Amino acid sequence: MPKTYNKKKIFVVALGIIIAAVLLSVRLGYLMIVKSEYYLQKAEDLHDRERSIKAKRGVIYDRNGVELAGNKPVCSISVIHSQITDENAVVKALCTVLELEEEEVRKKVQANTIREKIKSNVEKETVDVLREMKLDGVMIDEDYKRYYPYDSLASKVLGFTGADNQGIVGLEVAYEDVLAGVPGSILTLTNAHGLELENEAESRVEPIAGDNLHISIDVNIQKYAEQVATNVLKAKQAKQVSMVLMNPQNGEIYAMVNVPEYNLNEPYTLVDVEDLYIENSIEKGNTGQNDVDKSEENENSDEKKSVNELTSKEKQDALNSMWRNFCINDTYEPGSTFKLVTATAGLEENVVSLEDTFSCPGFRIVEDRKIRCHKVGGHGAETFKEGFMNSCNPVFMDVGARVGVSDMYKTYKKLGLFEKTGVDLPGEASSIMHKQENVQAVELATMSFGQSFQITPMQLLRAASAVVNGGTLVTPHFGMYTTDEEGKIKKEFTYSIKENAIDKETSETMKVLLESVVAEGSGNKGQVAGYRIGGKTATSEKLPRGTGKYISSFLGFAPVNNPQIIGLVMIDEPVGVYYGGTIAAPVMSNVFENILPYLGIEESYTEMETTEVVQ
Amino acid sequence: MAKKKSGGLVQWIRKFFYKGEYFDYPLLFVTLFLVAFGLVMIYSTSSYTAELREGNPAYYLIRQGIFSAIGIVLMLVVSRLDYRVLKNFSLVYMYTTIVLLVAVLVMGVATNGSVRWIQIGPLQFQPSEVAKSAIAIYTAHICTIKAARIREWKIIGKIVALPLIAVALIAKENLSTGIICAAITVVIIFVTSPNVKQFVIIGGVAVGIMGIFLGIASYRLERIDIWLNPEKYDKGYQTLQALYAIGSGGLFGKGLGQSIQKLGFIPESHNDYIFSVVCEELGLFGAICVIGMFVFLIWRCVIIAFNTQDLFGALMVVGLTTHIAVQVLVNIAVVTNSIPPTGVPLPFISYGGTAVIMVLFEMGIVLSVSRQLHVAKEY
Repeated sequence: MPKTYNKKKIFVVALGIIIAAVLLSVRLGYLMIVKSEYYLQKAEDLHDRERSIKAKRGVIYDRNGVELAGNKPVCSISVIHSQITDENAVVKALCTVLELEEEEVRKKVQANTIREKIKSNVEKETVDVLREMKLDGVMIDEDYKRYYPYDSLASKVLGFTGADNQGIVGLEVAYEDVLAGVPGSILTLTNAHGLELENEAESRVEPIAGDNLHISIDVNIQKYAEQVATNVLKAKQAKQVSMVLMNPQNGEIYAMVNVPEYNLNEPYTLVDVEDLYIENSIEKGNTGQNDVDKSEENENSDEKKSVNELTSKEKQDALNSMWRNFCINDTYEPGSTFKLVTATAGLEENVVSLEDTFSCPGFRIVEDRKIRCHKVGGHGAETFKEGFMNSCNPVFMDVGARVGVSDMYKTYKKLGLFEKTGVDLPGEASSIMHKQENVQAVELATMSFGQSFQITPMQLLRAASAVVNGGTLVTPHFGMYTTDEEGKIKKEFTYSIKENAIDKETSETMKVLLESVVAEGSGNKGQVAGYRIGGKTATSEKLPRGTGKYISSFLGFAPVNNPQIIGLVMIDEPVGVYYGGTIAAPVMSNVFENILPYLGIEESYTEMETTEVVQ
Repeated sequence: MAKKKSGGLVQWIRKFFYKGEYFDYPLLFVTLFLVAFGLVMIYSTSSYTAELREGNPAYYLIRQGIFSAIGIVLMLVVSRLDYRVLKNFSLVYMYTTIVLLVAVLVMGVATNGSVRWIQIGPLQFQPSEVAKSAIAIYTAHICTIKAARIREWKIIGKIVALPLIAVALIAKENLSTGIICAAITVVIIFVTSPNVKQFVIIGGVAVGIMGIFLGIASYRLERIDIWLNPEKYDKGYQTLQALYAIGSGGLFGKGLGQSIQKLGFIPESHNDYIFSVVCEELGLFGAICVIGMFVFLIWRCVIIAFNTQDLFGALMVVGLTTHIAVQVLVNIAVVTNSIPPTGVPLPFISYGGTAVIMVLFEMGIVLSVSRQLHVAKEY
């Protein structure tokens, strides 16, 4: 017979079991109520397969609302293994219609996953062929592809997008956040092997279209500038011609040209600058050149073949350099255009006045070095103003020496030459300057006329803008505002400006000097009838010296009394005459002649011109 | 002579059957309910895997159905027997079990790295499942005999000698089953003995032995790390998947058959981790109901043990109840990651032929004990 203590102990055991069961129930409650959401989320992450729906990318408009980058409907093709009935037919059809390698397609068709993407960005016409075949397991999804209506217009500014419509270079990448939108998704449940479960409801998240970007480029100005630049590129057989046109008052860029431009709709097709010369060569051939030229031409085409045989790395390098925006991504020795900075420093520090006299024997001895003026015989005795008009090197060496290293660097700093301009394009280069403590007399002298350091064209243009607009350092930019799908303004961009970077009086004096360069000095080919143009020419010998390669440039602005546009044109490695005043100034003159009336800037003839017209 | 002999045989057989005044129907029904529920859950959890592996979604259901039927018949037969005859077989049963346990180590079939099966022709069975009832019956019997002298250490030593051998043999391959077997022995001694101190010492020794087992098998210590941080270990995969299933069940679950975790995420979801799918499909409500069923079953067993007039019957029921209770608690604790992971099936519900037959056999014994209860005469 069991004793009482046996029963007691049975009771103890039973109690222990009940307590444990209750504790486990509490634990279950904790897991299934408190932690339920956490584990449910984790489980869903595991089960859900997302198919994303591309968001429509925002359109890029010019300042007048002209579409520069838009979207074109295309399709993407994918296969669903489990739905394929005739594998061979599918592989064959995909290979022939889409022009793909069989091996690759077969691998994707045989992949036992939910869906395999075969090809994206397929044109509508091609898709229609596939659609008619009515193949089981082949899915066609409507999609958008980036499309650039003007092909190559402002290619190095706009940039292009990749297969997933993501920005790769240019504004497309700089404003990726604005343009991209938020992709939507279709969620489906899958089992552990990644197979879609039938009968499970799909949940769909609609994509949010990207915002439209309105930029300061003006299609007409850009087009004209590109045309003029292309003409001079051909005429001078130059490597590259770049041009920037900007509003010096607020930093809005009207045009940024780097010819040869490339076709944004085919960004991976290399552009050979020499193709642009052929037109010229043929002309030469017609005008009585002998057979030698023609055989040269043949050699050229042989070389072109080898372009197609580039290794993939070489091709990538070539593409990268083709996509580069010289105005922003590269630095150069500005040469004489930089003298306006030296002059500004001299005026700011009150070490020179317009009537100060200098003498130029054609060179200046600085320490142990003899630094030449571009005019071998020398300019003789001249005032500072005359020296500026003549772009006389010894004058600026003297002014530089008067200013001194620390005040010179102070002016550089005031004009933003040690910082990036802040332009809204990716990959902006920084200036390459001597360290201040390393600058001796020789370095100071060479820097005074724009050598022995490098800046980007954009930096020069920004500094010059401050010099002529009364002393305000602006941020050059393209992006103005964004709009939503309905066209309502969503966000206006603001850019920092630094007022009174230099003295207003200095600016006034500088405008007088710069106007005199065009009116009577080395930049006289930059004149435009009816407008007061200011400017400065430059002819910089490329490094290393002695190769006979130059960059000829001209920096101009108009109208002098109230500058509305400032421009910089650079001709890289011109053949034949290479003086900036001779070849670059007329380019800017041509552009200004057409653009100033377009911008609504009224002509104001001087008395002399009026009398000429009357006569 | 022959007639007498045959008449003696009939009588001898009849002696085994005992018609009592009482039969615990609630226990029978809750047992049948749990078996039926187990079959439903096995079909729910295994049909996907069965379709993939065997081409027949009902493959595991049919097998388990056959084993359950055998088990139920066995239970009903055993419940009609006079359990006291088990006294005559307990020693033989114990020795047979030990032989089988040795045999499994020598010629066993390995699954998942541990040797737990004996293959006889087309049949596979798990001696460790047999051992649980053997230990319960044997320990109950020997404790009944030695009850008077249970305070003596020598007697304790005699009592635990054979169970200890069995536990050691089992624990070598399957620690958790070893723990369950040890628990059965310890609880029976605890109930038999008037002493508490003694039990505490036995418990301490048992814990010490387990500690040694943990120490010599380094993979078991690793399990503790996995237990604490299942996210960080590859081997924590199963635990983590079970937690996902449990957590995604919520209050009322996704509905019967709607589990997604069983679709290959939880490996062998019809086995040890079946409770996680119960949670996912039936929610906290369903899970608590299942626990409630087990508690009810254990409560019926305890009532029977409490009211039995025979010490052997009471101790045996206590031992068998301990087996079921500990196994349920350990299984749920493992699935909910409340203790380090170890492979223990959920009685009645997890897939496993030997297990379901043996547990039904045990319920048969408990029902048999219930028959000799006296119905309260007050009414």
